[in-house]
Amino acid sequence: MHIRPRFFIGVGLIAVAIGYLIFNSIRTTSEYYLTVPEVAARQSELGGQAIRVAGRVKPGDIGWDPNTLTLKFEIGPLPEVGADGEPVKPVSSVAADPVSFRVVAAGEPKPDMFAPGRDVIVEGKIGADGTIAATQVMTSCPSKYRPKQAQ
Amino acid sequence: MPQLGNLALAIALILAVYSIVANIYGARRNAPDFIVSARHALWAMCAMVTIAVVVLWISLLRSDFSLEYVAAYSSTTLPTVYKFTSLWGGQQGSLLFWTWLLSIFTSIAAFQNRRRNPEIAPYALAVLAGVAIFFLLMLNFVTRPFDLLATVPAEGSDLNPLLQNYWMAIHPPSLYTGYVSATVPFAFGAAALMTGKLDDGWIRSTRRWAIFSWFFLTLGNMFGARWAYEVLGWGGYWAWDPVENAAFMPWLVMTAYLHSVMIQERKDVLKVWNLSLIGLAFGLTLFGTFITRSGVISSVHSFTQSGLGPYFLSFLITVTLAYSALLIFRSKQLRSPAEFESYLSREAAFLFNNLMLVGIAFAVFWGTIFPVLSEAVRGVKITVGPPFFNRVNGPLALGLVFLMGIGPLIAWRRTTADNLVRSFAAPVIIGVATGIVAAAAGVRIWYVLTAFSLAAFVLGTVLVEFRRGMNARRHMVSEPRAKALVNLVAKNNRRYGGYIIHIGTIVAFVGIVGSSFFRTEVKKSVHAGDSFSIGSYTLRFQGLDATDTPHLASATARVQVLSADGREITVMSPAKLFFKRPQQPATKVAIRSTPASDLYVVLAGIDDNGNTATFEVFLTPLVFWLWAGGLMMALGTVIVMWPNVRERAAIATALSRSTTDERELADIGAPGGD
Repeated sequence: MHIRPRFFIGVGLIAVAIGYLIFNSIRTTSEYYLTVPEVAARQSELGGQAIRVAGRVKPGDIGWDPNTLTLKFEIGPLPEVGADGEPVKPVSSVAADPVSFRVVAAGEPKPDMFAPGRDVIVEGKIGADGTIAATQVMTSCPSKYRPKQAQ
Repeated sequence: MPQLGNLALAIALILAVYSIVANIYGARRNAPDFIVSARHALWAMCAMVTIAVVVLWISLLRSDFSLEYVAAYSSTTLPTVYKFTSLWGGQQGSLLFWTWLLSIFTSIAAFQNRRRNPEIAPYALAVLAGVAIFFLLMLNFVTRPFDLLATVPAEGSDLNPLLQNYWMAIHPPSLYTGYVSATVPFAFGAAALMTGKLDDGWIRSTRRWAIFSWFFLTLGNMFGARWAYEVLGWGGYWAWDPVENAAFMPWLVMTAYLHSVMIQERKDVLKVWNLSLIGLAFGLTLFGTFITRSGVISSVHSFTQSGLGPYFLSFLITVTLAYSALLIFRSKQLRSPAEFESYLSREAAFLFNNLMLVGIAFAVFWGTIFPVLSEAVRGVKITVGPPFFNRVNGPLALGLVFLMGIGPLIAWRRTTADNLVRSFAAPVIIGVATGIVAAAAGVRIWYVLTAFSLAAFVLGTVLVEFRRGMNARRHMVSEPRAKALVNLVAKNNRRYGGYIIHIGTIVAFVGIVGSSFFRTEVKKSVHAGDSFSIGSYTLRFQGLDATDTPHLASATARVQVLSADGREITVMSPAKLFFKRPQQPATKVAIRSTPASDLYVVLAGIDDNGNTATFEVFLTPLVFWLWAGGLMMALGTVIVMWPNVRERAAIATALSRSTTDERELADIGAPGGD
């Protein structure tokens, strides 16, 4: 392949423009993707920052007001996952979760799959009082693709 | 029965290994018997995989829950059609389905090349068999579809309700067909590199395969978007989710490839680029499977972690290294004497179109793996959502649309100023006029104004092309207008089919822009009898109807839709479904689609014993045109693929007698050489 030198100018300019576009957009649109324990560890530096938190809905104390479309619940940590994709055992459900955060999502309908014990991703910002004001609550789709059961 | 499936897969693996050995031995030692025998082995392999597929299908239809797969993805109450589609509802089944398609395509390629391409075909078939071996190893040893359960359950745990949808019945097969058929051009490219037969023979022999793959990738993406739109109930059709990106990237690269091979066929340049693109396209199909199966990148509809990730990654790395090594090894022979002459040439426009497409693919790739990268480098997972993809791809899409208008109209090599004015005066006027009309109609967003103007410009260029070709035909064979138009397309299908694809793309682009910028949304909880409004519509909630079957229970809202003057337009029935096994709720969206806008009603929740319902309603302008454009793209691709032999010679003769210049020869589709 032979391309005249002046073509490299055009090609280079476009490549640089695309690179800049990517770089700049990453800078302005990125959100921290954190687990519940990570949020706990970094809570002080996350004020005002867009975050996505992956966790599990804790049983009990779930509030849903259809008139204001306000959903309130506690989000706790996901069970640790081992290299094989299986939860690391033992994960005892009675053991007290070390951390959890209150989530208040207003103005959004309750997701279909939302239920205690479901894995969710919460998008929003964390306030000074440790409450996450969520703009979106997404339930992980309980797809059936899964590792082979241990025999 | 299951034993038969296992046996068939084991034999298929052995046959694939044999076929590689026999193909390569036969090609190196010039022993045609071995090549024939290798071909027969591939056909036998295809038969074996077919047996495995049939066994799994029969087991699904008979609800044989002794099979782990059947118990996990089917049930006795699952409607028959979804028992059938459960074949690709789970991991083992979808890999089996993939392998099946691969073995079918390999067999077809073996048949097509039983006399053609004697130098590269054995190597290409060996590559295809090599890919098949990887999948067969997975099916035989890692993720086995015919594993039995120790205790047979009385009932299966059913297919995920979200997948019990007709779009989901056709979306995965389309996408897989697109993915898998890209393996054929890849294999021929690799074979060209192995043998050093580096002319465009490998491109010509697999041109139809590449278009076939692109056709199904297009459909697969469209069906997936349509499924998301109808089923997921958030009013949109594309969320830049890693799984969607995984399907989109091969499409982008294949699009680039289909354009750049035209330059190689014409100008004998960009050899390395084309070989790289097809390698990239194939690599991205593996990458797509890797990220959806590995759980490395979390996705809202991820398929959760499975043990397959490392295998796919290893295979992907091996293929990438081997292919890159071949490219470097042959780099000297790949230099071509021809060169680019001018920015104002079609090859330059195609080159920049390629840069844009690959740039978009790279941005999508970067955004998809960014969480993994940032975690590795900075220790913090940073995600970028739809805003990132929209910001990067928005401007690039405009550039691409602009080039779509330029490319087909300017001449190869170089274009004169006179030619530019002649070709582009009308389209530019159409584009500017559209911009002015849109601005006068109240559109104030610069992106939308630019997008609509450029879209009109491109449609204008295509119209100019059709008119020119039609007039040339009328001039030469004196046909009436309509007949000239039909014949123009029928007899130059490759060129004008391509234009129809362009029209479809532009129409879809307008749909995407309109629906992205002008969507409005209302969320409301109302009592029975209450009403609320969105846009010019008033919606009245009349009440709920409940049904109950062993498979699912449902609550359907009656929503009366009234126009601004109080007339009833229709009654819509959004519903909530409750699947019994697994117990899982789902949403059934009601959509009233018109060319101007879609009214999209979601029953988001029911409270207070059914007296109060929460609705989420979207009014999405122009989204209709996304689907319409998708259909046109498919139609255009069918026209491009349509066999066209009888008229070619005749036209070539007619053209050689006429006194038109080179430009006009191209206009009515001088045979493109395939």
